[in-house]
Amino acid sequence: MQSTPARRPGELVFAVAVLLFSLAAFWQAYEISGFDGLTEPGVFPMLATGTMIVAALFILSDTARRRPDADTQAVTRRFFVDILPIRHMVLIGLVLAYLLLLPMLGFIVSSALFLLAAFQYLWRRHVLVTVLLSAGALAAVYVIFRIVFQVVLPEGSLMRGLV
Amino acid sequence: MMDALANFSTVWLDPWLLFLTASGTLAGIYVGAIPGLSVTMATSILISFTFKWPVDEALALIAGIFIGGVYGGSRTAILLNIPGAPSAIATALDGYPLAKRGEAGEAIGLTTVMSVFGGFVGILALAIFAPVISDFALMFQSRDYLLLGMIGILLVGTLSGESFAKGAFAGALGVLIGMVGLDPMTAEGRFTFGTITLMGGIPYVAAMIGFFGVAEALVQLHTLGMPAIRQKIDRVIPRLSDVRRYFGLAMRASGIGTIIGALPGTGGDIAALLAYDHAKRSTKNPERPFGEGAKEGLVAPEAANNAAVGGAFIPMLTLGIPGDAVTAVIIGALFIHGLKPGPLLLVETPHLFWFTVGSLTLANIFLLIFGLTGIRVFTKIVECPKAVLIPLIIVLSAVGTYAIQNNPVDIYWMLLFGVVGYFMKTYGFQVGPVILGVILGPMMDANYRRAMIGARQDVGVFLWDFVSHPISLVLTVGFLTMLLSQTPLWPMLRARLRPRG
Repeated sequence: MQSTPARRPGELVFAVAVLLFSLAAFWQAYEISGFDGLTEPGVFPMLATGTMIVAALFILSDTARRRPDADTQAVTRRFFVDILPIRHMVLIGLVLAYLLLLPMLGFIVSSALFLLAAFQYLWRRHVLVTVLLSAGALAAVYVIFRIVFQVVLPEGSLMRGLV
Repeated sequence: MMDALANFSTVWLDPWLLFLTASGTLAGIYVGAIPGLSVTMATSILISFTFKWPVDEALALIAGIFIGGVYGGSRTAILLNIPGAPSAIATALDGYPLAKRGEAGEAIGLTTVMSVFGGFVGILALAIFAPVISDFALMFQSRDYLLLGMIGILLVGTLSGESFAKGAFAGALGVLIGMVGLDPMTAEGRFTFGTITLMGGIPYVAAMIGFFGVAEALVQLHTLGMPAIRQKIDRVIPRLSDVRRYFGLAMRASGIGTIIGALPGTGGDIAALLAYDHAKRSTKNPERPFGEGAKEGLVAPEAANNAAVGGAFIPMLTLGIPGDAVTAVIIGALFIHGLKPGPLLLVETPHLFWFTVGSLTLANIFLLIFGLTGIRVFTKIVECPKAVLIPLIIVLSAVGTYAIQNNPVDIYWMLLFGVVGYFMKTYGFQVGPVILGVILGPMMDANYRRAMIGARQDVGVFLWDFVSHPISLVLTVGFLTMLLSQTPLWPMLRARLRPRG
């Protein structure tokens, strides 16, 4: 399917990053056992990363050939509209905060905070609605997974024994 | 034979297993139907929750989810013109026009019945061909497994996504992720950077949930405020005349679906599109033109994608090579339960095979029941706003990843893969091949080295082996043909061979 003539904002940068990552991975694969033998542990990783490099070169040349946007400024602006809008960055930030808090505060407290913040930010309803929704969702998750599936949920180092 | 029958009926006679299959099917319909939730996502999250269960219970639940989920996508495709799952893309083409004419109920009814027919064809094929292929597979050498693995990744890479290069990159990236950790043959660290954390490897469930759960949630964030359209539902039970009329087409489509499902790496989505194409070409005088509500265009893809479920289990249970992304995830589950899918699975644990066939059949029957009922309730639930759904997916993904080893590091992997997967999806990469690579990579590595040791490290002998044994030769030719058809060489060759005029 060659039906996307225009280049997506940031695609060229991504293609370069893909190539650089592949090269770094190949170097790491070479470090494992070099070219010592054909059955060394490093041979298959080198084949895989080699494939990545070849594929990345094709991707890069294909991307570079496509029609770019007007100027760098417009590309940067469109990148933050089409590819990584504020909404995505906020959510990724929220998830990161959630995952960092999880081992400390435990599953219940951190999930409650995360759900509340995420619902409030994405859904924009009255606080009472989102509080009730978070509590309900959390209770359902807890009952299904802790009680039915018997999954061990993170307890949290700060809250040990409390929740 | 009696043993097979007894194992087949285990799931039918145990009330708890019966309940699990039923709830799996019902949950699967909703998972498949709600845009933003996918069967792959649900199975990868569920696997982490069920790994402490007995394997029978986990399999019964997963069989239900799989069967229900592949079907569920059709409902939103018909009602909202949003395919709930990729396998329902073709269904939306004619299903939505039917709904706009006020025939949504009938379209759902017909879809359900045809999906169930398709499902039975796939399961029958599984029951008949898997034991045969399994016997045959005992003759497979290491190099044949290496070839099968490469064919699987190549197929996923070529048939979906923007370009072959992107598919190949994704597959190789998956292999790389699978290589991280201690080498199983020499216990040497690979890509560990001297850290203990990386020595155990990257947990593939974290990769699965990251790529299928978190990344998908981030993609869905773009379409937060999609308005829902309500449809009128009246008659649901399809007319007998319709069922009789489209039975032949459904059977042909099921055949296509089973074969496509059985090919490593290709699943219901491709089966549905091919069956739709077949219906379009084989129906000379449709009642209504295709794209405007032809029932043929509804029957073919739905029969095919459910047939692909049974088909997808064939290579998974006989060769240890997943037929599609969901079976790739299920293989992960079997590994966790200490089972080794492959030609010996049917020899060592035949009960498991017949149990799987039994639970798939049962799930298919539940599909008929749940498919024809509860549609009104369904329309309400599907309208759940994405703003509520997305945070929930993330919480479930985090819990699921954590549950595997109770290791907080895993959830950082999940987030990393989620963000990387989001960018990959945005720039036209497929994440399916990555997971296939993660699962198949270590298997391919081990088989490559075994084959190379068998050839006494002589590249000439090694390569000669690929063409001098009949099974290897067939696979090699298949692999090369597929590779060739993707390079610029092929159109050039074809242009030269075709007479100019």
